[in-house]
Parts: sequence; structure tokens; C-alpha cells
Amino acid sequence: MVDKKNIIKLKNISFSYPDSYQKGPSLNGTDVKVLNDLSFELNANDKIGMIAPNGSGKTTLLHIIMGLCQPDCGVVELFGEKLTKEKEFALYRPKIGLMFQDSDDQLFNPYVIDDIAFGPLNLGFSQKEALIIAREILSDLGIEDLENSIVHKLSGGQKRLVALATVLAMKPEALLLDEPTAGLDMEVKTRIEGILKNLDIAFLVVAHDFNFLKSISSRIISMTEGKVLMDDQIHIHQHEHIHKYGHDPHTHV
Amino acid sequence: MIENEELAFKDSLIHKINPCIRILLAVLLSFWVALSTDFKFISGCFVLAFVFVFLASITPNDIFKRLKPLFVFLLMIWILLPLTFEGDMVFTVFSFDISRQGIEYCAMITIKSITIILFFMSFVATMTIGVMGHAMQKLNVPQKFVFLLLMTYRYIFVIGEEYQKLFRAAKIRGFVSKTNIHSYKTYAYLAGMLFVRASMRAKRVHQAMICRGFNGQFHTIDKFSLDKLSIIFFIIVLLFMTIYQWLIVKVLIF
Amino acid sequence: MHISEGVLSGQIMAAGGVLAIAGTAIGLKNIDYDKIVNIAILSSAFFVASLIHVNIGPSSVHLILNGIVGILLGWAAFPAILVALLLQVVFFQYGGLTPLGVNTVIMAVPAIFVYYVFSPFIWKSYKITFTASFFAGAFSVFFSAILLGSALYLTEKNFLEVTILILGAHLPVIIIEGIITGFCVTFFKKVYPEILPNLQKLE
Repeated sequence: MVDKKNIIKLKNISFSYPDSYQKGPSLNGTDVKVLNDLSFELNANDKIGMIAPNGSGKTTLLHIIMGLCQPDCGVVELFGEKLTKEKEFALYRPKIGLMFQDSDDQLFNPYVIDDIAFGPLNLGFSQKEALIIAREILSDLGIEDLENSIVHKLSGGQKRLVALATVLAMKPEALLLDEPTAGLDMEVKTRIEGILKNLDIAFLVVAHDFNFLKSISSRIISMTEGKVLMDDQIHIHQHEHIHKYGHDPHTHV
Repeated sequence: MIENEELAFKDSLIHKINPCIRILLAVLLSFWVALSTDFKFISGCFVLAFVFVFLASITPNDIFKRLKPLFVFLLMIWILLPLTFEGDMVFTVFSFDISRQGIEYCAMITIKSITIILFFMSFVATMTIGVMGHAMQKLNVPQKFVFLLLMTYRYIFVIGEEYQKLFRAAKIRGFVSKTNIHSYKTYAYLAGMLFVRASMRAKRVHQAMICRGFNGQFHTIDKFSLDKLSIIFFIIVLLFMTIYQWLIVKVLIF
Repeated sequence: MHISEGVLSGQIMAAGGVLAIAGTAIGLKNIDYDKIVNIAILSSAFFVASLIHVNIGPSSVHLILNGIVGILLGWAAFPAILVALLLQVVFFQYGGLTPLGVNTVIMAVPAIFVYYVFSPFIWKSYKITFTASFFAGAFSVFFSAILLGSALYLTEKNFLEVTILILGAHLPVIIIEGIITGFCVTFFKKVYPEILPNLQKLE
């Protein structure tokens, strides 16, 4: 892979929700800018973690990148191409895998295998090829036993792994993960951590869990007032949490 | 609240038959019985239905559970029809005349309905809806409809869980269901919330599909192939039905 | 509100089947796969909501809500209701395979009727919204009960008393459905108006 290849580039993006009921009416009666003159880049081999409070516009940022919502102003570039129209985005979307916060939004098929094959089939692979790709991904993630499982019977953790598999089955060149570990227990979290560490594609992972981000990414950024803060702008950082080693001496990064 | 399709996860001869064949048989046999007015023929099918139930290893417990809604309806007609049906009086209870035709009609409906439901249970309730959808597609049911069915099925469980959560939250805050406007309003808001969440979720699901290259064409993986056992089973059942009806109608007039 | 297996005559089943297929075809014709996602998930919500039981005195009834489905989906109510009923047959053996067409018509025709007659009033004042949707909910159940009764009566004239009994038993349900639909649609308007039809046309 060519180093420094530009995958995602956002320049001076601003966005506010046109319909107030989507995010609730704003408190002071004016439109709140969710993204305000935001710029961001993701290059090949970048492993970026993003930590930011709820409602700071992280999900909106991911949706802008994928062209799921249109910015009020600013430029979205994917793979060096400036994109504005739905048709243009449709061409580049499959190269970037977005994993949604709620796996139930992503997994709409009754059976696991159908859901994983859905992406490759859309890309024009034949039935046979799609099946081979799907099985490959399942075994890569160590969940080949779930192939013929019924999606609504899976646990939250299993659903998350399958959702990740559906995204990886597209063979994307970059991954965007929206809170991949939210609500999961340690075991699945560790598993996802392991999977992400072994990936050789660029990613942007949004999460609330600092330690998780620290372990998978090479730099951590944040968002505030609709702008991205680079890691040199992030200062000493306090957090409170509960964990089972609380009584033993331990260090925080 | 929502059935777990437990009949689909058994292992039996019927479960081994190709789902397309099973759906075809269920539809054919159901309408065959529903359209018949010959009591002897229907009684024979009634017995046959129990053979299928046995072949599908469905327990009496399963049968009873699934027949309950039907029994309520049957009870109603057994009470009403013999009294109200015009025809020859058999006997009189508390000055109400009981008609023979009424009793016969009730008996006919009872046997017919139980027979058809047992057919359906043995052939269709023994597959998951996921399998049923794929089989329907193979049987040339329009793909849009199959897609609608499978997706509705998938999200029933998600929305069912959401309802449980909402209802629990209402209960925790002291909601007790009564016959008053407050209760109805609460239920209206609960139901309304389900629709609102469903609509918002639909938006996200659609976005997630677009992200995976969905462009208005829906592709699925073919699953089952037609095996010999299924074809033989199909032929045997249909042959049996045809010969049986022919025997009753043409040869043996009991 | 279902007709069970083994009751209807061949002609009624055939008529119901043809009407249900025609209605479903019309309902599906004008929607592409992008919109089917929305219809499917609303149909799931309809399925779940119709399992809700509300009290009337010592007894309880389950919600029907075909009025709401009509207001939300218009002609797409036909396929949505057919799918929900089919799933009820498979899950619980409510209704059945042979009366599926008739049962779909019983629920869907009033839903579409209500869509044309009552949904234009939704965007008036809240009072009118509530009143219109009350009548939408009440009338759709009333209309359904009439259709169900007619299907039985046309099958066998001696079903007349059963039909009258069914209509009578549905009177409280008609009122409750009206109240629930009234509150529900008002709720949509306050909380999430984009779920309701014709929003774009009016703005």
C-alpha cells in the first residue's frame, strides 16, 4: 500500500440539522451548529481514535464522510475526489466501511450468512464468490460457528462481531467505527481490540473508552464545539470509571 | 411475547423435506380441504393430518397451545349455531330448538379447521420465516414482497424488545392498566413511540444498507436444492389424496 | 379480528384472495426498495403494537390499529397488513392460510378508506387532529367488523346471529380504538411529524 495516500479529507465542513425535531429543539431558539468549520484527514495506514462527549457530533461527522447527510458548506474528498452528489458517493462508499452504533440497524437479514454476503453481492460478486468471501471473513474473526445462526437470537457481543464482519466483507480500504465497544463486556471488547490491532487498513474509531482507543490507535483526537482537536491540542485528561482492579494499584495513561 | 419458532428446530422426516415442497403441499392440501363439503373426505384428511403431525414430531402440548385461539372461536359457534341454524329440530333445551343442520355445520367447521391448522403446523410452522421467505422466492413470489416479509420478521424482535423496555419503564413509574382515559392514553403513547422508533430505525437501516453498496437491487443467496426424498414425498402425498378422494366419490358410496 | 380456517365458502375465499393480491400489487407497485425498508419496519411495529392488550372492565382486548396503519402508509397498508397477518398465522396460528386473503381485505380496505377520508384533517388544529383520528380509528374497526360480518353472512345465511354478536362485541373496541388512535396521531404530530403523510405537500 502506498504510504500517505489520502483516503478521507474534510475541509471547512459546517452542518446543522434542518429539522429541529431530529435532535430536539435547540435551547436558545437558534440552530445549533453540530459541525462548525471542521477539517479532518485520514490517510492510508492512519489508525485514529476519537474520544468526545455525547452529542458532540461524532456520528454526524461519520455520516458526512459517507455522504449520508449533506454539509451546509465545506468540501468532502474521498480518495482524492471531491464529492457532492449521491451518485458520486455511491461509487466510493463501498471502499469505506462504516459500522453503525446499533448493530440491529446494520443486520437486517434473518440469517448471519445472508447479511455478510449482502455487501459482496451488491458489489457484483457471484453467489459462489460471495459465499466464499463471507465464510472467509467469519473464520478470520473466529465466528464461523455463527454462519447459520438467526440474527435476532445472537447476543449483543455476537451481533457486534457479525456487524464488523459485514463491513469487512466489503474489503474496504478504510473503516469508520461508531462506538464499537459500547455496552459490551470485557471479553468481546478484548476480541474487537485484537481484531482491530491486526487490521492493515486505515481506521477512525469513535469511542468513550480511553484505554481501548489507546491500545488500538496511533493517535487520539477529540471534538469540541463542532471542530476536531488534534492530539497535541488534547491536554491532561481526567476520567472516572469503575473496574474490577480498582482495589489494586494500577496506572492510567 | 413473541413466539420463538420452536417447532422449526426439531428434527424429523418433515423437517428434511425441501421447504418449497412443504409450502406447496400446505397450500394445496389446505385449499383442498377448505373447498370440500364431503364430510367423509374431510374426516379422512383429519386422520391424515395427525399422521403428518406425528411425522413432524410435534407434541400434543404444541398442538394444544396453537389450537387455543381456534377453540375459542369453535366454542362460540357450537353455542350459537345449533340454536340459530334453520333446519330439523333434534331436541329442545329450555325452549330453544337445536337443529340437526346446525350441529352438522359446526362439526364440519370444527374438523375442517383443525385439519387445516394441523397441515399448516406440520408443513410450514416447522420452518423459520427466514427459510420460508427464501422458499417463497424460489416459488416465484415477487421479490419485493419476500423482502418485505423477511425484514418485517427481522425487526419484530427488535421492536418487541423496545416495547418490553418501554412498558417496564412505565410500570416502574407506577403505571397500572385500568379502564380509564389515563390508561388508554398511556397505551396510545407506548404504541405511538413504537411507530416513531420504527420510523427512525428504518432511516438508519436504510443508511446502513446504502453504505454496503445497496442500489435498489436486492440479491440473496440461493439455499436449498430439490432432492429425491422431497419429490417422492410430494408425489406420494398427492397420489394418496387423489386416490382417496376418487375412492370416496366414485367407488364406495358408504 | 380474524376469520378462522374452515369457515368461509370457496367463492368468498377466492374473492378475498383476488382482492388481497390486487391491493398488495397496487401497494407494492409504486414503492421502490428504498421505501420498503420503512414499510417493513413500520409493519413490524404494527405487529408488535397489535399484541398490546388494554383493559375494558374485567376483560381485555388487543389493539387492532389498522386506522393508524392506513394513515401512515396509504396504499402500502395492503402489503404491510398482509405480511403482519401472515406472520401471525405462522407464529400463533391466528386466522389461517385459506382465509388470509379475506382477513387482509377486512383489515386493509378500511385502512385505505381512512387514509383518504381522514388524513387530510391531520394538519389542522390539534382539536381537529384528535377528532379526525378518533373517527379514523373507530371507523376503521367498525368498517372491518362490517366486512368480517359480511364475509360470514355471504358464506352462510345462518351466520346472521353470529355476525350480529360479533358486531356487538366490537362496540367497546371501536370506542377504544378511536381513543387510542386519537392520542397516537396527536402524539406523532407533536413528537415526530415527519412520520405522517403529506408533510412535504403542505409546506
